[in-house]
Amino acid sequence: MPGFKVIVIDDEKIVGQMIKVAMEPEGYLVETFLNAEPAFARLRQEKFDVVITDLKMKGADGMEVLRTVKTAYPEVKVIMVTAFASLDSAVEAMKGRVDGFFAKPLKIKELKECIRKLLTPAEPG
Amino acid sequence: MKHVKIFHKIIALNIANILLILVTGFLAYHSLEQVLTKLRFMEIADSLNATFLEMRLAEKNYFLYAEKSALSDIEAKTEATIKTIESSRADIARAIGEGKTTRLESNLKNYGRSLEGARTGEGGAQSKVRAAGRKIMEFMNYITSSERAEVNRIIADSKRGLIFSLALILFTAVGVTLLLSARVLGSLKRVEKAAHLISEGEFEKIEPEKSRDECGMAVSALLSMAAELRNREEEMIEAKKLSSIGILIAGVSHEIGNPLNNISMLAQNFVELYDRMNRDEHVEYVKKIEEETERIQRIVKDLLDFARPQKPDFKQSDINSVIDKSMRLVQNMISICNIEARVELATELPKVYIDENQVQGVLINLLTNAIHACSPGDRLRIGTRLNPDGARVEVEVEDTGKGISPEILPHIFDPFFTTKGPGGTGLGLFVSYGIIKNHKGNIRVKSEAGAGTCFTIELPVCDL
Repeated sequence: MPGFKVIVIDDEKIVGQMIKVAMEPEGYLVETFLNAEPAFARLRQEKFDVVITDLKMKGADGMEVLRTVKTAYPEVKVIMVTAFASLDSAVEAMKGRVDGFFAKPLKIKELKECIRKLLTPAEPG
Repeated sequence: MKHVKIFHKIIALNIANILLILVTGFLAYHSLEQVLTKLRFMEIADSLNATFLEMRLAEKNYFLYAEKSALSDIEAKTEATIKTIESSRADIARAIGEGKTTRLESNLKNYGRSLEGARTGEGGAQSKVRAAGRKIMEFMNYITSSERAEVNRIIADSKRGLIFSLALILFTAVGVTLLLSARVLGSLKRVEKAAHLISEGEFEKIEPEKSRDECGMAVSALLSMAAELRNREEEMIEAKKLSSIGILIAGVSHEIGNPLNNISMLAQNFVELYDRMNRDEHVEYVKKIEEETERIQRIVKDLLDFARPQKPDFKQSDINSVIDKSMRLVQNMISICNIEARVELATELPKVYIDENQVQGVLINLLTNAIHACSPGDRLRIGTRLNPDGARVEVEVEDTGKGISPEILPHIFDPFFTTKGPGGTGLGLFVSYGIIKNHKGNIRVKSEAGAGTCFTIELPVCDL
């Protein structure tokens, strides 16, 4: 999927690094952030296709990222990742029109598959 | 008296006082009435005396100068006097008594009769009239002087009576007030003591209340409240334990979940990208995995320290020397961070009964937190002092660092609560809190964002 741009927000540095390492060979451009505010600033500068965010973070959390992104850029896909998976957080995420919801430990293959599907235009049917 | 309600006591004593006042008033009124009666009589007696004097003058005129008209004059006067006495007989009898009144009357009648004798020219009439006249005068003089003495006596008596009863009223009023206030204050003291013991949580030390008056009832109510509080406290401690286990489990899953996720992702990419990576990159991945396992190891170790605390080795210790030891261990950190540190230890502090290693751990934890909160040039102070009540030694660790914001202040003793990012396990203050509580001490915090933080540890003075 060449050229698609992805933002990863997670206060665990390794998460962003690993997603970047796994996806860049397939042509994605991945930028990683440890918290939401600089990511918001980056989103204002340039158009991105996917935002992958951790749910539980200091400062603005994943729900806030979801709300902010979906309000300002409805076309941007948002994928939520959490180590703290609970039914409540999943339901809340669904209500906020999340495009994907993953529990940690994150399966990178599944994440890539999800993103690929999200970015493929629906087959005319 | 012990089981009579204070309210009833007050009513009873007030009624007694009112009765006393009424009796005093009645006695004073009675004395006044008596004096008035006597005075009324004195008035009558004065006019009688004047009449008698005139009678005796006329008597003299009749016998010495043989004035015929004088006799009828005397008779008319005697008549008039008898009438006067009759008309105010009640007043006179009340003042001098029935006997004396009758005697006065008979004296007058006797005089009248002797006058009649004089008119008919009876022999020796003159001396009879004179004798009867004298008798009346003497009797009147006797009565007036005795009545005067009587009035003086009544006034003196009522004066004494008034002074005595006023003194009695004053004494009972003051005595009753003192007695009641002593009892009420005594009971309030007991209530205060009980309330104090409740606030200290020392429910067992509250003495049961025997008295059943209002204060006794207040103490009993307080005691049942204390019992209820004790039950609630136990329930609350249970609930707190459960909730902190809940927080602990949630914390553990999150804290361990993150490095586990990191290991998992590193491993996935390691396999997936193995062929594209060179040897150095392989080593780097495995090193990262190793680091993440160490992170888990650290959390597990702290957790074990918390879950399986070593049996504390309590002994009498000098808190100041523990502080000195702790300060030596953090001195290097303080110099590197360019913090100005001050140690203010009170001299002649009583010993405390502590596990030195554990308390030192707490102090180092607090000092490290303070150092981390400070920027170069900030000040750090550690001090000791004896509580005003002399039962506890206080250790203060104070810094002028960045402070703790009010919204996170209530959570700083929660497990896994940390502001230090992945470097902190969030167990330091949680474990410290447990240690100090285990020492029957107390740890509290005061902080203002931007101005600094002050932790205060209270440790009970060794009473062995």
